[in-house]
Amino acid sequence: MKKVLFELKDVWKIYCMKGTETQALRDISLKIENGEYVAIVGQSGSGKSTLMHVIGCLDTPTRGSVVVDGKEISQLEDDDLAKIRREKIGFVFQAFNLIDSLTAAENVAMPMRFNGYGKAESIKRAKELLKRVGLEKRVDHKPNQLSGGEQQRVAICRALANDPEIILADEPTGNLDSRSGSEIIALMEELHKSGKTIIMVTHDQNLAKRAKRQIKLKDGQIVNE
Amino acid sequence: MIDFALKDLKGHRVRTILTGLGILIAITAIVSLGSISAGINEMVTSTTSKVGSDTIFIMKTFDFSEMSGPPTSWQISDISQEDVEAIKSLSGIKRAVPVLSKSLGGIMEVDAIDIDNLDIFGADDLTFKEGSMPGNDDQGAALGYTAAKILGVGAGDYITLNKKEVEVMGIIEEGYGSYDLVILLPYKYGEEIYDAEGEATQIMVEPQDVSLVDEIKNTVADEFEGLDAMTMEDALSMSKQMTQTLDIMTLGIGFIASLVAAIGIIITMYTSVLERRKQLGIMKAVGALRRTIMKQILEEALLISLISSLIGLGISFVFVDLINNVLLGGTKIAVITPLLGIGAVAYGVMITIISSLYPAWVAVKTDPIEAIRKG
Ligand SMILES: Nc1ncnc2c1ncn2[C@@H]1O[C@H](COP(=O)(O)OP(=O)(O)O)[C@@H](O)[C@H]1O
Ligand SMILES: [Mg+2]
Repeated sequence: MKKVLFELKDVWKIYCMKGTETQALRDISLKIENGEYVAIVGQSGSGKSTLMHVIGCLDTPTRGSVVVDGKEISQLEDDDLAKIRREKIGFVFQAFNLIDSLTAAENVAMPMRFNGYGKAESIKRAKELLKRVGLEKRVDHKPNQLSGGEQQRVAICRALANDPEIILADEPTGNLDSRSGSEIIALMEELHKSGKTIIMVTHDQNLAKRAKRQIKLKDGQIVNE
Repeated sequence: MIDFALKDLKGHRVRTILTGLGILIAITAIVSLGSISAGINEMVTSTTSKVGSDTIFIMKTFDFSEMSGPPTSWQISDISQEDVEAIKSLSGIKRAVPVLSKSLGGIMEVDAIDIDNLDIFGADDLTFKEGSMPGNDDQGAALGYTAAKILGVGAGDYITLNKKEVEVMGIIEEGYGSYDLVILLPYKYGEEIYDAEGEATQIMVEPQDVSLVDEIKNTVADEFEGLDAMTMEDALSMSKQMTQTLDIMTLGIGFIASLVAAIGIIITMYTSVLERRKQLGIMKAVGALRRTIMKQILEEALLISLISSLIGLGISFVFVDLINNVLLGGTKIAVITPLLGIGAVAYGVMITIISSLYPAWVAVKTDPIEAIRKG
């Protein structure tokens, strides 16, 4: 049974900086259902990351309505957004964004800690997740002791920590060589098969074609579909 | 999540040490200075609590020029034989016991007292480490524990008082407050040693009834020029006044030290928050609540301040030892009372937490998107 996970209606995101206005998102309306695999494509500066942040409850729109899993989020406070993020959504970023002072396992455990789980329990599950992506020998390594591909796999484990329905990935292969990149994509597809909803920003046309659905952005507007 | 806080502190050792240093210095200053007044208070209280509250204490009017150095060194001039006799024959008096006090070596005091009336000085329960209390007709002295240590003598040895040899007949056990620094002589023998036949420096008076205390005090004040009468309560409040002056000084220095420490904490914690923008942003992005971030920063502050306050307290114990042994010649005047120690640590923690509130607020306000975009 399909349910609508995301519904955006007439969403605008406007940045004001020193008098100049940037319309990063212009009148975006879209629906994404449970279990979809969506690729978001478009040139640099077209608003892909901004759209991901709005979808992912990291940011609220300037105008318009964003409903995530049945809940209107455009008026919510920081803490309420954070609760939705840590329970429902896992993020993977281009720049990995791991915390340098923590080990791989501690990085993965962190969202669980925020979600109220104890240290031992979180670390145990973190190690299991890392094992699933073939990093069982790297659990106690710091990010600077890991290759880019390994760091991104740690980041995917962190995204999976609280077993969210949704994985948002903003150019997850952008900083990787092609081999590590395809490993990451294989992982994403596996997650999709296991039932996760995947929304992924990518530059790579080949990758985008493998997705079931493509959303193309240009100057903050959706141009295909 | 105290383990996260600990990790960050360990990862930035120099910054952590700098943050804690100010508090460490402030606590050391407050505890070291405060120990002197705390010690004097404790000594006075322990001595006066042994003396009955209705006991009146008569001595020459305080001349403030005589009050220099620690109170034990104040040289109080003698009351004439006439006055001693006149006071003894006042009405309403149960007993009047003269004392002859002379200071020795700055901090020690020689007290010639009537051994049959030891209770009026609160000295009837003294226990002896060596030898015993001389009797009223003996020619010898009993020494307080610290006094014996300073003079380096034991029972059977001789000490020199007013150029005369005096036999040490007993050494009192440690821990009797001001008696630790005292040399006790039988009254008659004291008069002989100091050529002060019939004179006294103080007279201890016990009234026939408590209700007569004020009357006797007034009579002494009115009829004897140059003499003051007060109860132990009055004496206590006088010494309280003196320690209050010390306390104000301690608080003043402590306040300035903590102000400097607080500014140091604000600057280092603020810098540390700015340095960790990326980390804090990531934490928020993956679901940390405002209070989680707030808690982490304040937990860091708590750890830093607890550790540095405790080190400061440790250093203070060394300083107090130096004050007692070097400045005050082997006494135990300066003490770190539990109240002073615990209070100072609590104060250090409080200052640090308060100073960390602004940096913590800045940390809470970190924008996760900015942290992520920069990567
Ligand atoms: N915080 C901001 N302040 C001002 N302009 C911004 C901000 N963030 C993004 N933008 C602008 O919004 C537009 C869309 O940016 P972004 O969503 O990052 O695009 P993409 O991810 O497709 O490269 C760009 O023109 C960018 O410069
Ligand atoms: Mg982008």
